[in-house]
Amino acid sequence: MQITCPHCGPRAQAEFVYERTVDSVVPLDATPEEAMKTLFTRNNPRGVDEEIWRHTFGCRAWMVITRHRVTNEITAIRAVGPEAIP
Amino acid sequence: MTDVTITALPAPPLHVFEIWSEAGAVAKRFATATGFDLPIMGRSGGSDTLRLIRYEPTVWLVEGDASALTDVLGKDGALTAIGGGIVRVRLSGKGWRALLMEGGVFDAESASFASGCSAATIIDHVAVRLHVVSEDTCDAYVPLSYSTALMEFWHTAAETLTA
Amino acid sequence: MINFTFDGKAYQAQAGDTLAAALLRNGIGLVGRSFKYHRPRGIMTAGVEEPNALVTVGEGGRTEPNTRATDVFVYEGLVARSQNRWPSLSLDFGAILGLAAPIFSAGFYYKTFFGSAKRWMFYEYFIRKAAGLGDAPSEADPDHYSQRAAFCDVLVVGAGPAGLQAALEAAEAGKRVILVEQDSILGPSLIRDPQKLDAAWIEAIAARIRAAGGRILTRTTASGYWEHDLVTLTQRISEPGQVPADSVAQRLWHVRAGQVILATGSIERPMAFAHNDRPGVMLSQAVRTYVQRFGVTPGKRVVIATNNDDAYKTAHALQDAGAEIVAIIDARPAPAGADNGFPVHNDAVPLSTKGARHCLKSVSAQVGGVTKSWDADLLAVSGGFTPVVHLHMQAGGTLDWNEAAQAFVPAKSRQNVTTIGGAANPDPVFTVTPASNPKKSFIDFQNDVTLADVDLAWAEGYRSVEHLKRYTTLGMATDQGKLSNMAALGRLAEKQGVAIPEAGLTTFRPPYTPVTMGLFAGSGAKDGGAHIRRLALYDVHAAKNPIWQPLGYWFRPRAYPANGETMQQSSRREARTVRTSVGMTDVSTLAKFEISGPDAAAFLETVCATTVNKLAVGRGRYTFMLREDGFVFDDGTVWRLDENRYLLTSSTGGADRMATLLSYVRQYLCPQLRVSAVNVQEHYAGIAVAGPQAKAALTALIGEEPPRHMSTVPATIAGVPVIVLAASYSGERAFEIYVEASHATPVWAACETEVSAHGGCLFGMDAMDFLRIEKGHLVVGTEVDGRLTPQDLGLDKMLNKAGGFIGASGLSRTAFSEPGRRQLVGLEAIEGTIAEGAMLITREGETPQGHVTAAGIRVMEGGSIALGQLEGGFERHGEELIATSPTRGQKARIRVVQPHFYDSAGERYRD
Repeated sequence: MQITCPHCGPRAQAEFVYERTVDSVVPLDATPEEAMKTLFTRNNPRGVDEEIWRHTFGCRAWMVITRHRVTNEITAIRAVGPEAIP
Repeated sequence: MTDVTITALPAPPLHVFEIWSEAGAVAKRFATATGFDLPIMGRSGGSDTLRLIRYEPTVWLVEGDASALTDVLGKDGALTAIGGGIVRVRLSGKGWRALLMEGGVFDAESASFASGCSAATIIDHVAVRLHVVSEDTCDAYVPLSYSTALMEFWHTAAETLTA
Repeated sequence: MINFTFDGKAYQAQAGDTLAAALLRNGIGLVGRSFKYHRPRGIMTAGVEEPNALVTVGEGGRTEPNTRATDVFVYEGLVARSQNRWPSLSLDFGAILGLAAPIFSAGFYYKTFFGSAKRWMFYEYFIRKAAGLGDAPSEADPDHYSQRAAFCDVLVVGAGPAGLQAALEAAEAGKRVILVEQDSILGPSLIRDPQKLDAAWIEAIAARIRAAGGRILTRTTASGYWEHDLVTLTQRISEPGQVPADSVAQRLWHVRAGQVILATGSIERPMAFAHNDRPGVMLSQAVRTYVQRFGVTPGKRVVIATNNDDAYKTAHALQDAGAEIVAIIDARPAPAGADNGFPVHNDAVPLSTKGARHCLKSVSAQVGGVTKSWDADLLAVSGGFTPVVHLHMQAGGTLDWNEAAQAFVPAKSRQNVTTIGGAANPDPVFTVTPASNPKKSFIDFQNDVTLADVDLAWAEGYRSVEHLKRYTTLGMATDQGKLSNMAALGRLAEKQGVAIPEAGLTTFRPPYTPVTMGLFAGSGAKDGGAHIRRLALYDVHAAKNPIWQPLGYWFRPRAYPANGETMQQSSRREARTVRTSVGMTDVSTLAKFEISGPDAAAFLETVCATTVNKLAVGRGRYTFMLREDGFVFDDGTVWRLDENRYLLTSSTGGADRMATLLSYVRQYLCPQLRVSAVNVQEHYAGIAVAGPQAKAALTALIGEEPPRHMSTVPATIAGVPVIVLAASYSGERAFEIYVEASHATPVWAACETEVSAHGGCLFGMDAMDFLRIEKGHLVVGTEVDGRLTPQDLGLDKMLNKAGGFIGASGLSRTAFSEPGRRQLVGLEAIEGTIAEGAMLITREGETPQGHVTAAGIRVMEGGSIALGQLEGGFERHGEELIATSPTRGQKARIRVVQPHFYDSAGERYRD
């Protein structure tokens, strides 16, 4: 795949690492029940999902990628992290 | 036939310059103190005595004398030494662009990757940071532990570049 | 003239010859034996689709088996050998299999595998010996394989007339263009059929493309089409088996294209009739290629079988070359055009051929219901044209059925790819239904699959094309069914009573043509796949000639044997020296992070499961981290260097994932924190000094009282600034010295001098392991294997009661407090030696209740001890068990004890 990093522009997938889906993030203040639900009873859609990727071998920034898991079509990428500095 | 030479440069002090708050104010203080602007993503700024190269959204690589920068950051960021872990490798000669395509995934042959540009990428499975010094020179910042292997890789690749 | 050998005999070729052309030039018609039945086979095509003429070329490590003779260009000294024959190509015992053909029909493997095991055992030896292709070389490949990236606006695949035009237009429009052609020349189809566009035209176009900045690669195959218009190209810089001029044999290109234009043309189809695999039966366009491009006329008396106009060009070419056209068997009911002077028979289909091993003797056909026969030494066949849609399909495209051409053509695509030229518009043909004996009518020549095999698969209930493929092995040979798939589909559709497009298609998978493994390995072929990470102090260690041990991508000294010691003796001596005086070791590979900022403590208390914020400046403590589900993830130490600056160390093996975790917390989970977390793993080299004499050594080194246990001070050694941490992994009074890696050598030298002066020595990883096992200290990856909680490891007393750290909400799961959980225990041998990885059982044959995570010795007294995980282990101290390791053939009677074998009061590391 080619992923358009919000900071670096289009780059090869080899520079990126898939980390997890957005809905798998356990907030620090989650109750045990919420945490377990988030970790173990998530959706696994055959289609579009929101995924957290990191440009690990590039700018090291994190991003949320909306990707179709069958066609690999990427419809949105948004930067996350500390406020971007111009 | 090779038109690129590969040389390990002596290590200047290298620091990570990271801002976590009041970026605008830090940028102003920085420009006042150094006489040049904090470079934008993918660019470098400064001179051989003090150069900042931007590879990350909130982090700059500082090459040279960073002593003035602690005050510039104040409570809005931190300066951390990292030079011990990085080897600076100079690729000089017209062939550096082709050389960087060997085992690479980044478009170093693009005309827009010109003097003063920076990019972090992966080359032959090693995370490398590139800085275009001039049309004939590109510096690579290579992790110390991989530097021997990567320089060997580059020497081999340079010999077969035009094949 | 170029000299080459085939099966040991010397021949000569002309410049530009493929091996196939050169063999034909020398009158060699028999080139190989078929895969299953060992039938004699010749040269059928002039391209990469060749199913029959597979040879082994090259010698030693450069040997390449299964190379298509049509796809290797002869070079001086080329050595080629035929395959799958014994004792020789012309006299082959395996051909007896041909007589046994009924046994080896479709589904032979299926039936054998599903039959009794005995049956398989019986056949296996026989099959392995008889079936198969060339032998893989056993020597290492001496050549270098390059992998290179390229970016372009337009990638054109195929340098025929359409591809050349498309590349020229794009290049002259100012776009970055790459044009690739798998042949050694551009426009091979124009050379085959010289018309208005000739070699001079091709050269002129190529010159213009290059002048406009375009890159043209010949001998380069676009072999795979991946996501987002990434196309992999395999470029042959030297020919198979050839010594490369520039040491690089082949190059794998990763091309990211803005747009891809496929001008891949089409592949001519054979026809299905009895004995259609005989040497002397050749595809019509291939015949033309040999005549017009290579100047070789493969026959003197020629019969042509066709269902289209194109084959008439072959008739003209052969006639011009002096061959006699004995008959043209045209399936179409009436003449297509004006009388061309050839003996054309319409409404005619080939029935069978006769011949000897090496050659064709006659061809028979059914002409309007009457069987006719002609003497001939060459049969040129054209059954229509199959567009090369492989890349289009790999890109996720769909196909349309072109009824006139009886062929699939590219339709939609979800990537930025278009198909032009013959691949999009194949010539019209007339549908031919095979009429002769299906048992000898081959459709997949390489895997010896006949029409009868398709019929059998159908009769046995295999309906789907995917099942048919696997049952018959059709299309599964190295040519991936380039010639066979359409014939099989036609037969299957006929059986199903549906049109061909309804019968379905199998998947087009990369690579388009076989790729040498070395190309995928690239430079990794040399280092076993990955670069070795080298210690900053590598040269210092290497001078002492230690035994090295891989640790992730690192290599660390395992032991420093002296005076002919074994590794065991050396490790034991090193460990004892640490217990009795002092030892030093390189701990540079540990993960290290510098955490700065007013929120540094809050950041660390998010990552770590222990408290941090109460730590005074200059103090440190042990810490560990959890996964979100509450299991222990890693451990290390945290040190407060300054008011707002901490140093965090963690395990070597977990360094990269710890870096990711810190970045995740910093950027994703808690972006509001005012903190900078910098990976300084390689910035600092680390030297550990441990033993009763360590304090004295340190005092001498830094010129002052060294810090007390779990304290840190900045200091200077050999004029180099260092950080000294007092922490003990060995159980002795110990220090870790961190120094900027580029200045580590003088610091190491100073330490070594001082350690020696105090009667000490260097110690390696094995000694360190003995020391820490005896002390009950954990290793991430062995004791901490992702399945134990802080409670299971006895770490729960250290948990941050305030919570708020990653994994805190996972800790209260009920499963974590259920009885029978595996818990950390110590194990001591009563009888025998405990093996690492041994299972813990109470009696033979029962399900293991735990396992040995690390086995060691009592350093001073001797005796086998270990750490392990055991169900309900905390409650079982004193119990006797068996530690059995069938894989190591080791068994020991053991007693469960506390996981501390040495100084459990912790007095030795305090002053």
